[in-house]
Amino acid sequence: MARDFIPGRREPEVPSGAISYFIREALRRLWISKRTSFVAIAMIAMSLLILGAFLLVSDNLERAVERWQGTSRVTIYFTADVTPQQIQAVDAWLGAHGDLARRKFVTKEQALTRFRSYFNDLSDVVSQLDENPFPPSFECEVAPRIAQSGALAPQLTQLRALSGVDEVQFDWEWIARLRRLVGLINIAGFIVGGILAIAAAFTIANVIRLTMMLYREEIEIMRLVGATERIIRGPFIIEGILQGIIGGIVAVLLLFALFATARSFIVPARSLLWGFLFAAFLPWPKIAGLVAGGMVAGWFGSWLSVRERP
Amino acid sequence: MIHFYHVTKKFDRYSTALHDVTFQIEKGEFVFVTGPSGAGKSTLLKLILRQMMPTEGQVIVNGRNLNAMRRGQVPYFRREIGMVFQDFKLIERMTVFENLSFILTVLGVAPKEHKKKAYSALRAVSLHHKMNSYPLQLSGGEQQRVAIARALINDPLVLIADEPTGNLDPDLSNDIVQIFNEANLRGSTILLATHDRDLIRSSGRRVLSLVQGRLSDEKIAAPEPIAARGGESLFVNWS
Repeated sequence: MARDFIPGRREPEVPSGAISYFIREALRRLWISKRTSFVAIAMIAMSLLILGAFLLVSDNLERAVERWQGTSRVTIYFTADVTPQQIQAVDAWLGAHGDLARRKFVTKEQALTRFRSYFNDLSDVVSQLDENPFPPSFECEVAPRIAQSGALAPQLTQLRALSGVDEVQFDWEWIARLRRLVGLINIAGFIVGGILAIAAAFTIANVIRLTMMLYREEIEIMRLVGATERIIRGPFIIEGILQGIIGGIVAVLLLFALFATARSFIVPARSLLWGFLFAAFLPWPKIAGLVAGGMVAGWFGSWLSVRERP
Repeated sequence: MIHFYHVTKKFDRYSTALHDVTFQIEKGEFVFVTGPSGAGKSTLLKLILRQMMPTEGQVIVNGRNLNAMRRGQVPYFRREIGMVFQDFKLIERMTVFENLSFILTVLGVAPKEHKKKAYSALRAVSLHHKMNSYPLQLSGGEQQRVAIARALINDPLVLIADEPTGNLDPDLSNDIVQIFNEANLRGSTILLATHDRDLIRSSGRRVLSLVQGRLSDEKIAAPEPIAARGGESLFVNWS
């Protein structure tokens, strides 16, 4: 029997079963137009790779800053011609000031040994010098609460005035600078990555638009047999989202490959300078964030193109 | 079921496809639309499917004024109409089964039902053994029958066919008309555009004849009295 008209009947715009059709169609279209899809996926992957690299560096820097923050340190470097009496006088002065009393004396030899262990690749350079260039020093551990309070500033001024003292270095000052650097890296990463992600979204939009042009006749047939715009556009939206997700996954895999390669070169060299930049890979939430970023870029791109009626 | 009230369709100032056409087709009727090429047959069918809007007049299908129908309502309206296109309009990259399955997806039929329904629709046109063929692997007649199976798969309220026997030999044409007859018996209102005079003559059905966009007043012999149809339809004696 022919279906009878039921006044006011409202059928669902996207019927059940349509989702599996969307995914099936999207996968098929991805496969059919694999060359153009590859361009879109590569664009997404490249932009997320750059964003991911910024995140990786800033993440490791931040982790290093957190670690150093726990043991804030004041280092007092002596001049090359410092006398033992002058060192004793500084030692006594530090002993009398509670905030700086937890101290350790580092001899010239100890400083040299430490440099050689930290900067293995530069140890040859030091060996060529006639004399040990490192001065003796005191390293004082300061509680983070005191370091942050700013109460040390007058004492550091007094220390700098003591005879035999060449330089007084306070970790907290450069940790603060490092923090600002981490912030800048993050901002730069988001700006560069964001611009590239938008460019990638527009690439996806053009790829989807091209696919829609190829399927124009088919879309017309779908309209004539009663397909709603959502049913027609669904596979294209899913196609964009899939391109974005694949791009995100490719970016994470490439980033991990680069990270592993960099680590394999750096770790054997035991270079402190670079070692802390590649201490650990991105945590899971940030990996998921990168893939989700790809997904959003893919969705945005396909949404841009399907808004226009083909 | 289908009402045309003083419908005129102009494409531009110099080209009028239909001129002041008025007729009415009742629920369950089987009507032929005929006329020479360029008479306006396809335009008339497109107006019923709301592929285009009339320049003047009103088109009412199944109680709905198509002039007043919002764009978002059109897909739901079209799902109640089965259309067989002159050029078949099958999706070439999909198999015969997928062409039918797509309609069922649009109609919200559960995927597990698709195979059964598609098989049954294809069996009605004797093409159940071609489920996995692609349209381009089929002859013109077979493609036409797939298009008919697709149009009938949902037992539509109205079935419209534009030259469905255009490229077929007489035996096959009769078979196809027989399929339409069966759909008509199941309750579908049928409107079939053709210029196949033999087909019309042998059917004994009501005929709307178009000439240069107007309903022609040429009416000679008829298997049923004209008055019974309200006077607007025309029965043509082709002898």
